[in-house]
Order: sequence, then C-alpha cells, then structure tokens
Amino acid sequence: MDTATLIEAAIKVHIVLGFILLGVPLIVWMERKVIGHMQDRIGPERVGPFGLLQTIADGIKLFMKEDIIPSQADKVVFVLAPALTVITALVATAVIPWGDTVQLFGRTIGLHITDVNIALLFVLGTTSMGVYGIVLGGWASNSKYPLLGGLRSSAQMISYELAQGIALVGVIMMTGTLSLAEIGRAQAHMWFIVPQFLGFLIYLTAGIAETNRAPFDLPEAETELVAGFHTEFSSMKFAFYFLGEYANMMVVSGVAITVFLGAWNGPLLPGPVWFLIKLTAFLFFYVWLRATFPRLRYDQLMAFGWKVLLPLSLLNLVGTAVVLAIRGG
Amino acid sequence: MSLEPILFAMFGGTAIGCAVGVVFHRNPVHCALLLVGVLLSLSGLFVLLHAPFVAALQIIVYAGAIMVLFLFVVMLLNVKGESPLLTPGAAKGFGILFALIVFIELLGTVLPRSGDSSRLPDAVLPEGFGSPAAIGRILYTVWLFPFEITSILLLVAVVGAVVLAKRKFA
Repeated sequence: MDTATLIEAAIKVHIVLGFILLGVPLIVWMERKVIGHMQDRIGPERVGPFGLLQTIADGIKLFMKEDIIPSQADKVVFVLAPALTVITALVATAVIPWGDTVQLFGRTIGLHITDVNIALLFVLGTTSMGVYGIVLGGWASNSKYPLLGGLRSSAQMISYELAQGIALVGVIMMTGTLSLAEIGRAQAHMWFIVPQFLGFLIYLTAGIAETNRAPFDLPEAETELVAGFHTEFSSMKFAFYFLGEYANMMVVSGVAITVFLGAWNGPLLPGPVWFLIKLTAFLFFYVWLRATFPRLRYDQLMAFGWKVLLPLSLLNLVGTAVVLAIRGG
Repeated sequence: MSLEPILFAMFGGTAIGCAVGVVFHRNPVHCALLLVGVLLSLSGLFVLLHAPFVAALQIIVYAGAIMVLFLFVVMLLNVKGESPLLTPGAAKGFGILFALIVFIELLGTVLPRSGDSSRLPDAVLPEGFGSPAAIGRILYTVWLFPFEITSILLLVAVVGAVVLAKRKFA
C-alpha cells in the first residue's frame, strides 16, 4: 500500500463523512419544512434564510444542554450505545459508490471509499450491528419504557433484516456480483427496478422498518412508550441517536439507489450529481411517508414482516431464479 | 513496514482481551457484549486471512443475529450477576482440565512449526481465493453432501422449536 493510495483513501473518507455530517442538518431542515407545508404550516423560517440555520441552532442548543446519566443506569453501556448507532451508520457508507471512476493526476480513482467484493454483505452486516445501539440504549437506561422500546426495535429490526437481505439477492443473481460498484455499472442501460420491481418494493418497506421511520417507528411510539429507547437520553447523546437515524436513512437510500435505481447513471449530468438528485428524491419520499401514513400496531408490524414480506421476498427469489434458468443466464 | 502485523496484533489482542472479559465479568449483559467484541475481532482476523466472505458472514450471522437474540433473552430474564465468579467443586476442576488439554493440543500444533517459520515459503493463494464465487462453487461441489445435511438438521431444529412452543402444558 503506497502513500498515494493512503492519501486518496483519507481524502475520500473526509469527503463522505463531511457530506453526511453536513447533510443531516439539511435533511432535518427539509423534513420539518416539507411536513410543515404538508400540514398547512410554514415550518421553520426564523433562523437564517428560509430557516436553513434552524437545525444548526438546535444542534448548538443540544450541545449546551446538561448531560444527564440516570443514577441507576449502566454507565459504560449508556455512553457506548448512542456512539454505536452513529459508528455503524457511518461505517456502512464506506462501500456505497457515488460515481464511476475518474482520471485525476494520472490515477484512476473510483468514486467510492472502497470497492470490496462483498460490499452488499458489508452493508447488511453493519446495519445488523446497528441494532445494538438501540437495544443497549434501552437496556442501559434501566427504566421501563426504554427497555420495552429497545426490545421492540430489536425484534422489528431482526425480522425485517431477513426480507431486506433476500430482496437484494434477486439483483445479485442477475449481476453475479456483490460489489456495489459493479452492480452500478451493470445498470448503464436499464435500472434494476424494472426487472426487480417486487424486490425494490420489499427492500423499500424493510429499509424503512430498519431505520425505525414512520409508519414503522414503533420503538419510539410516543403514545405508548414516551420516547422509546431514547427516553432517558439528553444533550449530545440524544443528538447522536438523531444523527445515527438520519445517517442510516442515507445509507438505506444510497443502497436502494445503487442497487435498484440505476446508481449514478443518468443522461447529461455527471454521476455524482445524479446520485445526489436521486438521494434527495429518496429522502423526500421518506419525509412524505411520515406525513402520510399512521403508525402500525405492533402485532400488525410483526405479522406483516413475517407473513407478507418474507414470503414475497422468497417468491421473488424463486421467480428470478426460474427466469434466469430459462434464459440460460 | 507492512500494516498487517499491526492489524493482526490489534484484532488478536482485542479478541483475547474480550474473551477474558467474557469469562470474568459478572454482569451477563456485559459478558454478551464482550462476546460480540470477540466475534468482531475474529471477523477482522478473517479479513487478514483473505477470507472476506467468511468475515462478513461472521458479523451478519453471529454478531448481528444470534448475539442479539442472546441479549434479548438475558434482558428479559433479568439475570442478576451475583453468582460466584467461578462455579465451585467438580465443575471447576473439569473446566480447568479441559482448558489445559485444549491448550496443550494447540501448543502441539503451533510449536513444531514456529522454529523454522522463517524458511517457510509464502503461501500462494489460488485465483479468487475466499471470494463469494469460490466459496459457493466449493460448497456446491466438494461439500454438497455435508451442506445439505446441515440444512436438514436446521430444518429439524426449526420444526422442533415450533412444536415445543405450540405445545399446551396442562
């Protein structure tokens, strides 16, 4: 490993992390603004132009707040849990490509931090580790509501992980690779959402459940669980959970775009711009869902995951295999 | 200087440290978490051994699924970690005995080679070693029979679990 490769990797890591950490306040702003307008309100507008700096102000406020650790809490785990949520979300971004290769200073540079031949498994692995942040946060608080919220979420995330993973297998079978960059390149002519529409729908649903977003935001259902697993968290620890949730949304969207929506491919504009456009559209869709759908009941959620999504994803798997076998793929 | 020895020391050291913690910690949830640490470091070692696919499976299956269920049970049962550190009596003796046997066996496999390790040629990896495609091919050709037997075994376990859960205890 020569020095140039190291420098290249370091620069790319900084670009991606900077993009995500700056992107999260923007998404939060977009969410508040969009939901505001959807509910016939204006949304934030006081701080900065169009209220753009509102999230920054909120961030500073959270930073200044007193950091409370409940006296009966498990202190080590209590501190560790929010960090885990953010770390797992950020690590997953390492394999998501935001463009094809470019020539720069006589080097061929791939527009992704790294392209490993198990990229999809890597993403699934890190998201499955993300469960710990929530379940441990719930447990370490040593309080009723967080514990129930944490247990709910671990059950929910484990259930939907299965369907999520199997939904991706259809595309893996069509391309014959687990590398996200390769999958992106394979969609130059046709997006995989066309042959794998069912797979896309399953991934989308499971992805929203994985990120604990409405209508699957049961772990923090405020009518029954106060604020779920993060009830006892304050100040920056709460902000970390917030950050982790939004970074996870970006990861799920990034994977959905790369696997089903043609990755960085698009006419005229360069790859990264297309990726950014698709990412924004996808995140808007997330917000739209939250403004539209009521929350599911817990038994409905589990029944839906195990009795509808999982069989459907298996059906999709078998169907893809049969078609591929007939076409001699 | 190569990066590999440093990474090996890092992952190996973490694995051993966490493993010792699993045995000596009193709080069952902490033990479970340290076990996750062991599994994660092992997966790092797998990557260093050019087996990224195995490393990913290690994380997804063990750390991501099985250990979460472990934690689930420990939390629901609310096990108090007030039992004595080591179980006294015969169980303790057997434990130490078996640990010693395993240690000596491992020593036996490692020691004879460590003397002339400098003269060993670097292992040449076959093309595509450890890649998902290579593992898939070998799994469905050479190891097909054990693979299918394992799946039947797992199916039996699943059916058994369902039967046990559905049984009405009068």
